Amino acid sequence: MNLEPITFPWLTLLIVLPLLAAALSLVLRKHPVFSRWLALGITLAVLAITIGIFIVADGRGGWLLYEDYPWIASFGIRYTLGLDGISLLLVLLTAFTQVLAILISWHRKYQMAVFYSMLLFMEAGIMGVFLSLDLFLFYLFWEVMLIPMFFLIGVWGHERRVYAAVKFFIFTMAGSLLMLLAIIALYLLHGQQTGDYSFALAALKNTSIPPALEPWLYAAFVLAFAVKVPLVPLHTWLPDAHTEAPTAGSLDLAGLLLKTGLYGLIRIAFPLFPEMAAASLPLLAAFALFGIFYAAWIAYAQIDAKRLIAYSSVAHVGFMVLGLCAWNVTAMEGSILLMFSHGITTGALFLMMGMIHHRTESREIGRLGGIWGKAPVLSAFFLFFALASLGLPGLNNFVGEILILLGAFHANPLWGALAMGGVVFAAAYMLRLVQGVIWGPSEGRTEEITWTDLHPRELLILAPLAVLVLWIGLYPETFLAPIREPVRNLLEGASLVAMKGGLP
Amino acid sequence: MIVPMSHILAFSGAMFFMGFACVLAQRNLIMILIGVEVMLNAVGLTLVGASALWGQVDGQIFVIFLMAMTSAEVSISLAMVVYLHRRSKTLEADAFSGMKG
Amino acid sequence: MNPNLLFIIPLLPLAAAVVNAVAGQFLPRRLSEGIAVGAVGFSTIATLLLWPLVDAEGVRAELYTWIASGDLRIPVEIVFDPLSASMTLMVVFVSTLIHLYAVGYMREERDYARFFALLNLFVFAMLTIVLADNLLLLFLGWEGVGFCSYALIGYWYREKKNADAGRKAFLVTRTGDVFLGIALLWLFSLTGTLSITGINQAAFDFGSGTLLLLTLLLLAGACGKSAQLPLMTWLPDAMAGPTPVSALIHAATMVTAGVYLLARLFPLVSLSSTGMAVIAAIGAASALYAASCAVAQREIKKVLAYSTMSQVGFMFLAIGVGAVGAAMFHLFTHAFFKALLFMGAGCAIHLTGENDIFRMGGLGRRAPLVFWTFLAGALCLAGAPLTSGFFSKDAILLATFAGGGVFQRILWGVAAATALLTVFYTFRLVYLVFAGSPRAAGEAHRLPGVMRWTLPPLAVLALAGGLLNLPVAWGGSGVLNSFLGRFAGREIHASHALEWGLAGLATLLFVLGWLLARLRYRPFPEERISPARDFLLRGWEADRLVSAVIVRPFTSLARILWQRGDRKGIDGFLEGTGHLLMAMGEGLRRATTGRLHSYLGGFAWGLIALLGWMLLRYAF
Repeated sequence: MNLEPITFPWLTLLIVLPLLAAALSLVLRKHPVFSRWLALGITLAVLAITIGIFIVADGRGGWLLYEDYPWIASFGIRYTLGLDGISLLLVLLTAFTQVLAILISWHRKYQMAVFYSMLLFMEAGIMGVFLSLDLFLFYLFWEVMLIPMFFLIGVWGHERRVYAAVKFFIFTMAGSLLMLLAIIALYLLHGQQTGDYSFALAALKNTSIPPALEPWLYAAFVLAFAVKVPLVPLHTWLPDAHTEAPTAGSLDLAGLLLKTGLYGLIRIAFPLFPEMAAASLPLLAAFALFGIFYAAWIAYAQIDAKRLIAYSSVAHVGFMVLGLCAWNVTAMEGSILLMFSHGITTGALFLMMGMIHHRTESREIGRLGGIWGKAPVLSAFFLFFALASLGLPGLNNFVGEILILLGAFHANPLWGALAMGGVVFAAAYMLRLVQGVIWGPSEGRTEEITWTDLHPRELLILAPLAVLVLWIGLYPETFLAPIREPVRNLLEGASLVAMKGGLP
Repeated sequence: MIVPMSHILAFSGAMFFMGFACVLAQRNLIMILIGVEVMLNAVGLTLVGASALWGQVDGQIFVIFLMAMTSAEVSISLAMVVYLHRRSKTLEADAFSGMKG
Repeated sequence: MNPNLLFIIPLLPLAAAVVNAVAGQFLPRRLSEGIAVGAVGFSTIATLLLWPLVDAEGVRAELYTWIASGDLRIPVEIVFDPLSASMTLMVVFVSTLIHLYAVGYMREERDYARFFALLNLFVFAMLTIVLADNLLLLFLGWEGVGFCSYALIGYWYREKKNADAGRKAFLVTRTGDVFLGIALLWLFSLTGTLSITGINQAAFDFGSGTLLLLTLLLLAGACGKSAQLPLMTWLPDAMAGPTPVSALIHAATMVTAGVYLLARLFPLVSLSSTGMAVIAAIGAASALYAASCAVAQREIKKVLAYSTMSQVGFMFLAIGVGAVGAAMFHLFTHAFFKALLFMGAGCAIHLTGENDIFRMGGLGRRAPLVFWTFLAGALCLAGAPLTSGFFSKDAILLATFAGGGVFQRILWGVAAATALLTVFYTFRLVYLVFAGSPRAAGEAHRLPGVMRWTLPPLAVLALAGGLLNLPVAWGGSGVLNSFLGRFAGREIHASHALEWGLAGLATLLFVLGWLLARLRYRPFPEERISPARDFLLRGWEADRLVSAVIVRPFTSLARILWQRGDRKGIDGFLEGTGHLLMAMGEGLRRATTGRLHSYLGGFAWGLIALLGWMLLRYAF
């Protein structure tokens, strides 16, 4: 680890800027237009900072930035933030997504300022999750990001929003409370053993846990993260939440919230309990594989386009978890890259469904169709992102998926071979979606309304996404370089002796 | 100490249970409040006795707090009693079941 | 010459595709068409100019590293060796003519930019397959052509049928791709590289079981793209696309990608004799199956589609008996004459406004140029002596027969029967479309010149294509075989007498088939309806079988999983838990009477219980 001397608290800025803006726009909620520009300005500033860090980092390993201050000293709680390649990628995704979330909700009518404030709160929370290295702090941010999402779904959602919001809240809360218990148990154990009461991740890694207790603590962590990921069969909150959330909410859910679960597995659960992790990987892989097929299969039956995309998310995270379970460089890098890619493609699909819903006020596959004839540019983008999502080579998801598959096959040929079959399923439901929305005769809602093709603001949202899709698809090195060393450290540091490491 | 501690405890215990019986048995709100007062004062007596026993002043300070609190409590509860009486023309405790689940 | 210039060949169509996709709608029509045709045309010229680069070992060029992770390194690397060079030349040349033809064919379409963008993208993807020296890069092209064919078959998307046909093509071929993908994963796991050259070298060390499984996986992938049994159902439906698409996808390029893949990996594939036998058997079975279906089809393009499937079956057979040279020979001649036939069929459809051959007729007199060129293609397809099809099919039959064993003899028998059927349905087509009196009722169009004048060059190539690889027995020198060198597969050892004997037999079959068709369809241009004909018309009911065995169970299981699994199962369990808790709360609610006395009573009992417990604890 090469710790940078603390010069300027860039990381804190990433969290504090949105937090302040959120508070300010709550206070000035009588001036929605101001808060809109404020939100856009702040998210752009955050994006600029992360891009700056990304460029300066230039694929270096180790902790790129690191901040550490005592916070509640009597309990050994510290304010520790750290940024390495993995978090850098996710922080970048967060900053980018949030700008789009603001842009897509540009003309929201009801309580606009509060809406933006919620988005900004969430940005702060998610940034915190991706950056904090102190478990107490991590837990704090973990819960902070939950609350704005609850309101986004519950207040600004579609028809069954309250049901979805409560379901989302209870699911994630049940998981995270278990995690809190485990964190406290770990804290006490470590304190008793060393006399140093600390929540620091690095310190807690060295705790020796009684064998009887270890599975329970590990299970509590994994359960909390698995709910968020979500791993089948803990996924049923997700289709409801995604479907009922406003577009910006779906975007954040798919693009960011799901990633926090995976990030938690990588950053916290696996390093804290290396032996348990090694033992549980086959089980997790089985769940992941099951999820790939189960979710894809269900996606195929969906009537609501947003719900279909939501289930496709579940199938995709199945791939990501499988990549983690393979536990070798190729698959792990693939997983992290797919986390990034999936945020872009699925986010884009949700955005596009939002645009279509905005025009037609319908999300039903049966009532749409034939949009190509009415709005070719919009349809072309839709097709493009759908293809990226089904893993067409040359587009972004393929790179992550093929790395995962190669790694998984190496770890266990059956995993790779089975997961490869999931690709057909992905094509089946994605093409059904495309078929139902843009091809076919234009009848139903498509015929009833007057169409406008994409307007400049929408083009401004989709164009960078499309560029990223191609960029990652054709030259993934830019995004693979920063995670190379962290992944190696992770694999070596956790020293899962039982598993095959690396490739031949 | 002039009076043995055991006597004080016995006395205040008796007082406490008399108050308690009053609270339980009476149906009139005012009588219930009186019962509560008796119970509180029983506790106060114990505190004074204990304070004298150990020669420490804490107990007596507690009692002073207790008295101040009791007077506040009594004034509030009596005001509520008056209000309730005005509202429903009765002081039967069982007539008020607005908290029924 | 700088080998990096080779990248011009695939990148030109890509650039044109990008231009047309992004700005096509704003460009004048002529410019958009010009860009599309020009790009492919220049690719052809570039291929010819760069031809001197070919050498037996292959020239390599690397653009950049596409993916690198751990020990995996996927360079964007192309290889220009005899196999890929000859295939490239065929692809770009035929594509150029098809593009030109498409300019005429799509003259009245308003959405031309999408069409030409996809057509160019298709050529790019196909060239990627052909040139790639890396299996993953090949896979990019492989999936790329899959997508392009999906979008092109469903080009007239307003009709649900067309869009569904496109989707079917994509899904069925992708099912094959999965097997190819698994083979790819496995090969990487075994060798640590995905370079085709590297894999072919490493293949000698694999165990025989591994080799067999790998061969079968590769075969399954090839079957998907090449519409061989059992992944063939998409091809007849794919005729929903515009005719140039049919010509491009189903004649010249995409369906032959499977053959090319097996030819590329022949060093690996050939190591497993069982695998080779399976390839040959699949090829022969597909050939016979498709030929039998072609006999009963009514739509002109479906006849051609089934005949494509059948001819590709011949190529598989050739690969399976080790005659890669013969397979490639047939691939090239087939590309010429099948593209010609499709384009001719497009003209016929254009002229009559009909798809149904039983409602055409009499076109021979109306459009002599179309007739004569179509006839040239038909003669090649039927394998009339001295045409290209005759030589290439004969080479395959000879190679099969020369294999010697009982199994090879059976395959040869199947192939010969297929050849007879081919002659029959080809002339059935010719007679029904061009002979007799006009029966069309549809709206006729005038034929644009650009459509007509692309036919003669192909006709000449189709007729004379035999010279490419004229066998020694016929006074030639097997130019293609010697050019392909080590890629040509096994040597065929056959005496000239056997060669002449088989050629004579082929001629006999040709005459027999022609006579049968002549006697049946020249005087009676109508069909006889029978259960057998229905069975063949519907492709041996393959669609119904797939629908009953796969599609319907898949769909209903999807619904069951959703409703029973997710809704009733998981959500039901959780909501049940919720209801249970609510019920418990309901029960507890009764305890809160709201009456002061019950609370105080509870308080008293609690106190007594507490005191009692403490007393008991201190007492004992």
